[in-house]
Amino acid sequence: MSTVPEPTPNVELLLFEIADAVYGVDASQVRRIDRPGPHAIVRPELGIPHRNARALVFVTPEGEGELAVDGVRGVVNVSFDELRRLPPVTRGLSFAVGMWLGSDRPILLIDLPETARAASAAKEHHVPDHS
Amino acid sequence: MNPTPLQRALSAAPERAPAAKPRAEQEFFSFELGGLRIGIPSENVREVLRAGPLTPLPRSPSFLLGVTGHRGEVLPVLDLLRFLGKGEARIGSRTRLFVGISGSYVAAVLADTVAGLTRVPLSDIMPPPVGGDFSTDHLLGVVQPAAGGQILSLLNFSKVLQTARQRAVSR
Repeated sequence: MSTVPEPTPNVELLLFEIADAVYGVDASQVRRIDRPGPHAIVRPELGIPHRNARALVFVTPEGEGELAVDGVRGVVNVSFDELRRLPPVTRGLSFAVGMWLGSDRPILLIDLPETARAASAAKEHHVPDHS
Repeated sequence: MNPTPLQRALSAAPERAPAAKPRAEQEFFSFELGGLRIGIPSENVREVLRAGPLTPLPRSPSFLLGVTGHRGEVLPVLDLLRFLGKGEARIGSRTRLFVGISGSYVAAVLADTVAGLTRVPLSDIMPPPVGGDFSTDHLLGVVQPAAGGQILSLLNFSKVLQTARQRAVSR
């Protein structure tokens, strides 16, 4: 009797672009894709959106958050085998959580609620310059 | 009758040529980058590959050019010239990457050309210049070629990776 190999677990990634770079997020974190509102988050570390055409809307403990992006490439179904944690020397950003190796080059994976948390932390630490 | 000096010498002479003492040597992987000749201990090098597409990483130090995927592994790509404050590497069609390893740290490092493995007698390794800059802190020593030519700088690769990690995560 032959045994059926266990299926490799998969995850859906939503791929998007900011300033010609491609990133991925867990598609289950995205509630909807919308036009960016006035409070859409821009993370300069990921690049400044050229077109600012779309926003990925996600849920945070404080309510909805939006990440401004240039465009959405689509959703891909990815095997766990193709996911990697970041190498130790690259762990500089709290919202960069890993890489997907299934493309022609590694795709950086972002945690959406963490982008909002990092944005609020940056605001709290910002000291206004009154000089 | 007293023996002559020659007779004394002959009586103490060995039966055959003494075996040559083996010279202590260390093997280095040597390559060129930005006009510099650099060597790192061969045990720190896993393989050499062509430079593939890189994914830049946000908010990473300038010497960390990004990451590349190789055999299912995500490798950070290091520019040693930027790391050592000696300029910056140019990536072209002939650029190579070597996969360097120290303990659990693995990184791909840019090289303009790879010379290969070379055995260096330990007696030929001179200490790094005293009072040098940041780059000399990461040198094991230097080797002056017998026939002139360019100095071979021997890098302490384990220390390079350790410092690179500290500088990357402390940002």
